[in-house]
Amino acid sequence: MRWKRRKRSHKAEKVLERLDEKLNRQMVGSLLACVHCGMCTDACHYVLANPGDTTYAPAYKADRIRRLFKRHKDWTGRIFPWWVKAGSVFTDEDLEELRDIIFGKCTNCRRCSLNCPMGVDYATFNRMARGLLVSVGIMPEGVAVVSKDQWEIGNQMGVLKEDYLETLEWMAEELQAELEDPTVAIPIDKMDCDVVYSINPREVKYDPRTIADAAKIFHIAGENWTMPSEGWDMTNFGLFSGDDELGGAVARRLYEKVIELRGKKLVISECGHGYRSTRCEAPNWGKFDVPFEMESSVITMLRYIKEGRIKVDKTRNTRPVTFHDSCNNARSCGLFEEPRELLNIVCTDVREMYPNRAENYCCTGGGGAMSMSEYTPLRLKSAKIKADQLKDTGAEIVVTSCHNCVDGLTDLIRHYKLGMEVTQLVNLVANALVIEKAGVAAEQEDEVEVKGGEG
Amino acid sequence: MTEEKRINQSTLRLIKDDVTDIDIDAFVFYAQPNLALGAGFGTAISTRGGASIQKELDEIASPIATGDAVVSSAGKLKAKYIIHAVGPRFQEEDTEDKLRTTMRSALKRAEENGFERIAFPAMGVGFYGIPLDLCARVMIEAIKDHLEGETGIKEVIICVLDSREYKPFQSQFAKVEYEDGN
Repeated sequence: MRWKRRKRSHKAEKVLERLDEKLNRQMVGSLLACVHCGMCTDACHYVLANPGDTTYAPAYKADRIRRLFKRHKDWTGRIFPWWVKAGSVFTDEDLEELRDIIFGKCTNCRRCSLNCPMGVDYATFNRMARGLLVSVGIMPEGVAVVSKDQWEIGNQMGVLKEDYLETLEWMAEELQAELEDPTVAIPIDKMDCDVVYSINPREVKYDPRTIADAAKIFHIAGENWTMPSEGWDMTNFGLFSGDDELGGAVARRLYEKVIELRGKKLVISECGHGYRSTRCEAPNWGKFDVPFEMESSVITMLRYIKEGRIKVDKTRNTRPVTFHDSCNNARSCGLFEEPRELLNIVCTDVREMYPNRAENYCCTGGGGAMSMSEYTPLRLKSAKIKADQLKDTGAEIVVTSCHNCVDGLTDLIRHYKLGMEVTQLVNLVANALVIEKAGVAAEQEDEVEVKGGEG
Repeated sequence: MTEEKRINQSTLRLIKDDVTDIDIDAFVFYAQPNLALGAGFGTAISTRGGASIQKELDEIASPIATGDAVVSSAGKLKAKYIIHAVGPRFQEEDTEDKLRTTMRSALKRAEENGFERIAFPAMGVGFYGIPLDLCARVMIEAIKDHLEGETGIKEVIICVLDSREYKPFQSQFAKVEYEDGN
């Protein structure tokens, strides 16, 4: 009998071809190192919300990708495929089945990576697998829409330039009215500033108060700042879709704009994946040597308080709050003490949720899950873990430093009827700001000088 | 950022701009076979141009074959018309040939409709994954070949989005053996 080679679809061929380009030492280490100990299992919110269903276990999901590597790249799988459970993809249906696992059953939160004794970073190669499928056009519809908007409009929510500029103008007018000061402005494309401020398009589309609050803080701090007219989106859907090309292109637009404006520092508003992408990952994706400093706005606000550039009164925020760590901020970037320090300066009743910091559970809307409506029931079921965690704090308000988490948490709070509000640090800091009228401040300074003279 | 070449009686220009927001006879939109405007430039077209554009497209029999192109009016956009060209997507087989055919179809529609000034985006790069170098080479070759023949087109503008797209087109411009228009 003659053995016949099974024919592979064009897309399956292309996926396997590209697998070669994507492998690096970190990836191969993770693909080889799993000993199936199961330590990752209890780390995953999908597993905890679906007890008994082993298809949610990170090691199982990882094996669906690992089998391709073993079959095509590793000698053991090439010689003894049945022994090491190596396998391949042949049809477009095989790729679609893989899509539902890598997009629908994981938020790339990296909690399993942290709990792996072998150092397997499943989220990293899950992201790689997402990129392979995206390159042949196999992705959830929402991923396609958001990616195309970010590629062609320049931001992931399709906000047109005129709408962005109009929103900034509107927020500046609101601020002028609030502070009774017609000189207050949101400067656009101002050259040689100390701070160039970049934001998430969600702020323009759904939550412009965060822009006004940030502008208020910059104004009171006397900051020499600006916002760019283009390249202003610091979010990066390339992190979620696994498309390194998109990741690099988006960040490059922002970096080049800061250079064009001769900005000294890029401040990134509160967004976990935006911060991780722009500050940590995108210089590699875009092969760009970033010549300026980058900082989270959380650190900027904390710095202003420590330097005495703004004064805050914590008694203005008295309702019980808890802090949700964004996975990208906390687990991937180590940004978890600074937001707590700031929160304790501007709020009177802060309650920790458990587990927290790098061990915190995902808001369950991460990894682009909020844009994949076909998996919403799955996402909300897995959100039970987060819902219980929130409820146990007894807080009325959940504070987070991530716009994506705001949406994920808001959705699960509604679904599980928790009756909590979600807000960000910028809103609490702006609310706690002590604003001295120009005349009063000048008088106080005079008084100090006089007293000094007497002594 | 701008480059210019004179090819016979016509001008070929490279600029960095939003192709959906320029004053022109027609611009090319890299369309889907079902002619749904969708996201990206499609968002800009439907938001700025109004609902009439999609309504007009819904009247056209689809799917449109890869390589073909159709024309619609441009609603409230600065352009007068839109050429919806369906090109290859996501590492499709024979990408280069299909992209060349798509370019020819778009230029043919421009001639048929008497458009004198037309604009192209970098066709299929970014979301659809056409490699930038291939795109720049095929687009400029197709446009140059067309303008060297008998044509009513006076100006072709290639609108790119950023420096990443600009550089490969700039390199291809340098290879066009016609005098600079700058």
